[in-house]
Amino acid sequence: MAERVLTIEDLRVSFDTYAGEVQAVRGVTLHVDEGEVLAVVGESGCGKSVTAQTIMKLNPMPPARIKGGKIDLAGHDIVKASDKEMQKIRGNEVAMIFQDPMTCMNPTTQVGKQIVESIKLHKKLNHAEAKAEAIRCLEQVRIPNPEERAKQYPHEFSGGMRQRAMIAMALSCNPKLLIADEPTTALDVTIQAQIMELLGELKDKINTAIILITHDLGVVAGIADRVAVMYAGKVVETGTTDEIFYEHKHPYTEALLRSLPSTDQGKREPLMSIPGTPPDLLAPPKGCGFAARCRHCMQICKEEQPPEFELSTGHKASCWLLHPDCPSAEERGAK
Amino acid sequence: MARYIIKRLIYAILTLFVLITLVFFMMRMLPGDPFLGEKAISATALANMNAKYGLDKPVFIQYLMYMGNCLTGDLGMSITYNRPVTEIVTESFMVSADLGIRALIFATIAGILLGAIAAIKRGTIVDSLSMFVAMIGVSVPSFILGAVFQYFLGLQLRKMLGMNIFPIQGWGTFKHTLLPAFALGLGSLATVSRLMRTSMLDVLSSDYIKTARSKGLSQGQIMWRHALRNAVMPVVTIMGPTVASVLTGTFVIESIFNIPGLGKYFVTSIKDLDYTMIGGTVVFYGALLIICTLVVDLLYGFIDPRVKLEE
Amino acid sequence: MEHIEKSRFAHVGESAHDREAIARPSLTFAQDAIRRLVKNRVALVCVLLIILLSAMSAFAPLFSPFDYREQHYSHTNAKMFTVCNEEGTPGFGHMHIFGTDTLGRDLYTRLWMGGRVSLIIAVTTAIIDLILGCIYGGISGYFGGTLDIIMMRLLEIINGIPYLIIVILLMMVLEPGMLTIIIAYSVVGWIPMARLVRGQVVALKQQEYVAAAEAMGASPARVIAKHLLPNTLSVVIVRVTLAIPNAIFSEAYLSYIGLGIPLPRCSWGSLAQLGIQNFRMYPWQLLIPAVCISLTMLAFNMFGDGLRDAFDPKLRR
Repeated sequence: MAERVLTIEDLRVSFDTYAGEVQAVRGVTLHVDEGEVLAVVGESGCGKSVTAQTIMKLNPMPPARIKGGKIDLAGHDIVKASDKEMQKIRGNEVAMIFQDPMTCMNPTTQVGKQIVESIKLHKKLNHAEAKAEAIRCLEQVRIPNPEERAKQYPHEFSGGMRQRAMIAMALSCNPKLLIADEPTTALDVTIQAQIMELLGELKDKINTAIILITHDLGVVAGIADRVAVMYAGKVVETGTTDEIFYEHKHPYTEALLRSLPSTDQGKREPLMSIPGTPPDLLAPPKGCGFAARCRHCMQICKEEQPPEFELSTGHKASCWLLHPDCPSAEERGAK
Repeated sequence: MARYIIKRLIYAILTLFVLITLVFFMMRMLPGDPFLGEKAISATALANMNAKYGLDKPVFIQYLMYMGNCLTGDLGMSITYNRPVTEIVTESFMVSADLGIRALIFATIAGILLGAIAAIKRGTIVDSLSMFVAMIGVSVPSFILGAVFQYFLGLQLRKMLGMNIFPIQGWGTFKHTLLPAFALGLGSLATVSRLMRTSMLDVLSSDYIKTARSKGLSQGQIMWRHALRNAVMPVVTIMGPTVASVLTGTFVIESIFNIPGLGKYFVTSIKDLDYTMIGGTVVFYGALLIICTLVVDLLYGFIDPRVKLEE
Repeated sequence: MEHIEKSRFAHVGESAHDREAIARPSLTFAQDAIRRLVKNRVALVCVLLIILLSAMSAFAPLFSPFDYREQHYSHTNAKMFTVCNEEGTPGFGHMHIFGTDTLGRDLYTRLWMGGRVSLIIAVTTAIIDLILGCIYGGISGYFGGTLDIIMMRLLEIINGIPYLIIVILLMMVLEPGMLTIIIAYSVVGWIPMARLVRGQVVALKQQEYVAAAEAMGASPARVIAKHLLPNTLSVVIVRVTLAIPNAIFSEAYLSYIGLGIPLPRCSWGSLAQLGIQNFRMYPWQLLIPAVCISLTMLAFNMFGDGLRDAFDPKLRR
């Protein structure tokens, strides 16, 4: 069995703002194994990025604050880790690529130097070796003429190329886990596909676990092994990619999937949207976070948070509809 | 890059041209004869002067002559000192430059550090204190600072300690440069540190700092290798105006501290209505500052790799 | 698993009201800016200080028993709180709160008369800068093209000459007086404002929301009033607030090098200049006007900072 790289248990993260405490993450439980791609999907503002950044403790604290829970990354207790320990973990055990490759590289430093910097930090290599390694990394992400490109500045790279360079930088120290925070959102569709393809290829080659954060379920299907659907700071459903796509049980997952445009010419379904916005986590709802937008919403959904129901090994969902006592649709009075 | 340099050069030359023209016509508008100041000059000398500066010729020819004289470094005769202005300028400017450069170095280095520290320690007492100092620097004119320093750090401290730590008059030793350079530099220090703080905060909240953190760099490495260099960029752009404000500041600081620099001569010449001296000094200062700004602009083009493509 | 009553599973369905619920109160731009400004204690104190200094300058000379030109030769350079002992003058028996100067003129009255001059010069200059800058910058930015290039090149050339040097030249040539000072400051003072306004207009013209408003059929008047002005205005107001301390500084600086308001009138700058001459003997003669200059500049600067933060919460630091 593959080694477990990351375990998150009941993670709670809040931001202290002038308006009050924003509970961005309200009890998230996740795990990722070696060589596995876990996709975390959900709308903007549902806590995906906060969860990811908390794994590396990149959120500025304050205002961010870990209120509770456990993060175990390759044997390191992240919640308790000091700044010093985190510096050793970042880049070495876990690396991250971000949404906007345009702003993620230091504009006044050569791309190669930025990669060399990372390599020299975590590997015992001299400058020449680190340089060669950096060029090898650039080559690995299929950047043409890596020697010359390494000497260029980020503004001389195109968007897709910068994201490749970011991936090269992130993977330069062979981390156990790569977090990709919406890596393709800011790119053209054609480039998106290339980047996803590259990620999939690299995963197989170096056996890194990947957490792919995205709001685009279309991106997920091709690459992810498992999917976690997040809503209002919680994981509402997790399972294998097939389970999420074909046997989903949570109404939010269903709604997300229905909002995907279908490329199947045979079926001509109207494209669905989910009306409304996620709840403001400044004052999180008492019951289920999705209740207000859920067409199956019941009395209890507004009063109590649904527990997690295990549907099969690894497939879990939090919805009152799954409760054994829940009557059939007709009995509930639903249309 | 070549285009950028040429463009800047053309601007600089045009500005200089406008300045000299302005000075020439303003001198013409002044009441009285430029060579008939308070001190009497003999008739033959006056005739010589008039011939030399072409005052008997039409205005346009005079203008061309003036322009030519300025460009060849002949700024006319000072009436009060009865010496060529160029001679006074070359003699006394070294003192002003010495003072100005000291103030400038102090202002830039201390300003960058103060601003950077304030940004890093944002929201703490260190931040508030630094920004309070900067606010004082922005709000108290340098000549008031100079006088107050003279009184408290010079006179009162000497009374208290019986030692002359900060001399308040004259020029010569290192000790003499302390108070004037400090008084002169504080205003620019304040401007630099305020800009540096804003720019540093911008940089610190930028994505590439997050990338640097995600690589596992320590706070110190992030600051030194990534934050400072990028945050200093906007500070470089205001170096031109900063040089200007320091140099114009020397006018008053030199007369307060009785430093024999060009500024002191300039202020005296304003009080004495020594028009050639004023005109000559203005042309000199103007040209100097135009060159300084040009150098700063070009420097910026060299240190920021992004400028090359845009221009 | 515990048993749950059937009734609690009663269908409710989605609710249009709750799903759009926003927990934060919604505020207009101006409301939000004012709320932030009022929350900023420092800025409020600065406003009060500005009001206080202006009110004293406006009214203190009216109620003073001394005239600002009146000389009392029997007690020149008097200490603070000296009682006037010169019989036969209207001020007899009254106190020289801030003492007198070398010619025995009451410094309290002169201070507030000087305040009038300094503040009027500063505010007028700032307003002229605003008007000229908005017109020039607005035209250049709005029309763009060749006109914009010519207008901006012109500014660039003039802007290369340091501000104070041009002002000194002008002050030499023009007849001394308050009007001269205002004219000299304004001749080139509006250039930074013009560049600012032009930059704003150009940037805003390219904004998507302006294009969006136009696409939705908003009239040019509406685009200007609702989209361009409010966004430019905040930046411009902040710059005006910061132009005032600059003008006060210039006035003080020029007074010091002998290009201030001619005697017997006075300004804070000229009072400070006279004060410096007597500084070692009578330090308060410098310190009092110096404190007024510095406080005013400080108050306007900090108020300007507060305004900027209030208008642009992103910049809040």
